[in-house]
Amino acid sequence: MDYILEVNNLRKEFKKFALKDISFKLEPGYIMGFIGPNGAGKSTTIKLIMNLLKLDGGEIKVFGLDHKKHEKEIKDRIGFVYDENYYYEDLTIKQMKNIVASFYSKWDDATFNDYIEQFDLDPKSKIKTLSKGMKMKFSLAVALSHNADLIIMDEPTSGLDPVFRREILDILYNVIQDETKSIFFSTHITTDLEKIADYITFINKGSIVFSETKDEVLENYSVVKGGIDLLDRDIRKEFIGLKETNVGFEALTNNKDKVKRLFGEEVLIERATLEDIMFYTVRG
Amino acid sequence: MIGLLKRDLHLIISDKKNRFFFLLYIPFLLLIVESYDQKWPYFIILYTYTYLIAITPFSYDMTYKTSYMMSSLPISRKEMVLYKYLLTFIYFVITVVYAGVYLWIINTLGITTVDYFNLEVIKAVIPVILISISFLYPAYFRFEPKIAQIVHMIIFISSFVAMMNVANLGENSLVSHIKFLSDNYILPISIVLYILSLLLSMKLYETRDL
Repeated sequence: MDYILEVNNLRKEFKKFALKDISFKLEPGYIMGFIGPNGAGKSTTIKLIMNLLKLDGGEIKVFGLDHKKHEKEIKDRIGFVYDENYYYEDLTIKQMKNIVASFYSKWDDATFNDYIEQFDLDPKSKIKTLSKGMKMKFSLAVALSHNADLIIMDEPTSGLDPVFRREILDILYNVIQDETKSIFFSTHITTDLEKIADYITFINKGSIVFSETKDEVLENYSVVKGGIDLLDRDIRKEFIGLKETNVGFEALTNNKDKVKRLFGEEVLIERATLEDIMFYTVRG
Repeated sequence: MIGLLKRDLHLIISDKKNRFFFLLYIPFLLLIVESYDQKWPYFIILYTYTYLIAITPFSYDMTYKTSYMMSSLPISRKEMVLYKYLLTFIYFVITVVYAGVYLWIINTLGITTVDYFNLEVIKAVIPVILISISFLYPAYFRFEPKIAQIVHMIIFISSFVAMMNVANLGENSLVSHIKFLSDNYILPISIVLYILSLLLSMKLYETRDL
């Protein structure tokens, strides 16, 4: 199988944080959501893929090519959107576009102009005058205007209003209709991913918790609700994460059958959302 | 390389302070500063402008972390360093043309004579620019922005003080007594230093975490 993005046993150490043997794979034509709490290692992983940070161990292949040896060729086919604006604030949209366009072999001015019009951006506006949402639209227009095969996005929807977040998701959904393209999308707003992601990779404290299809994830995990009297020391250990109140408990399990055997009809078993999975896994 | 050149020129032109500086620096030096040797204001003009164009993008990258964006574009780090070093010569040509036209206008209007802006000055300033950049670029390509900024200030201020020293004292200046800076050696030394600096910057930038 040819993967568009393949990360194997990736390691990176800092003084107070380490990425430990990160591995996942993304096939062409799919959207992978990369979730985890703040400080879990999402941005570090993306910086390593983009070769902004040097890895201490492991391997990254993009389009089947080593990400360092074929850096230029790979980046020509990647569209990137970061969580903050890293464009030159004193330049106008048009000036910035002219600079960026000269680096890409397949830059398409017509596509860029279409997006600028669609996003209602004025090419003469200075980047520093744009709102956060407009800056994100500009980043997205740049990322989608050079025929990229892989779009890498680091928290693109954080701090944006629901209307614009939905707009971004619709655009990404359209991009993915071309089955040769893929999107790798980090976020902690998990509801966005429930709408569009095909795969979910969950990172916590620098380690991968799982990397599976969204359907598998949502199928495997369940939220269990019941009375506090059902819990004892051994039962508590059966759950990935548990929240107790005076009247009852809520817990996350990845073994629905065992919970059914243990409690029978005494508990309520519900489908877990990605947010539930993230919350209980992180909190324990 | 075209992309980097476009970026650098856009950044220079789009900044109001830079525009004022480029506009007023020549009359300031020619009409206000008195020099022992008439060629020194022209020397300082060429040096300062070239240095400023070279340093401005780094200042932006420091302030806005734009190096994330630049390093995510399809350009290898080696190329980025190489082009940056090559662009110094283009900045210098742009500076010579700009200063030349500006001074020609001043001369034509009869404000002052600019006869000392000649090939001798242009030749003399090249090694000083190469030596300054040779120390400056590795600092920017390797160190944290704050440290690089300190290196920049030290290089710029010491170069400026040295030039003012020569401008005011001529042959009695401290710089004139440094033997290896004599006309015969300074150009080859600066070229070798520049090439070594380029190789060092490539090595340093390739292994740097952004």
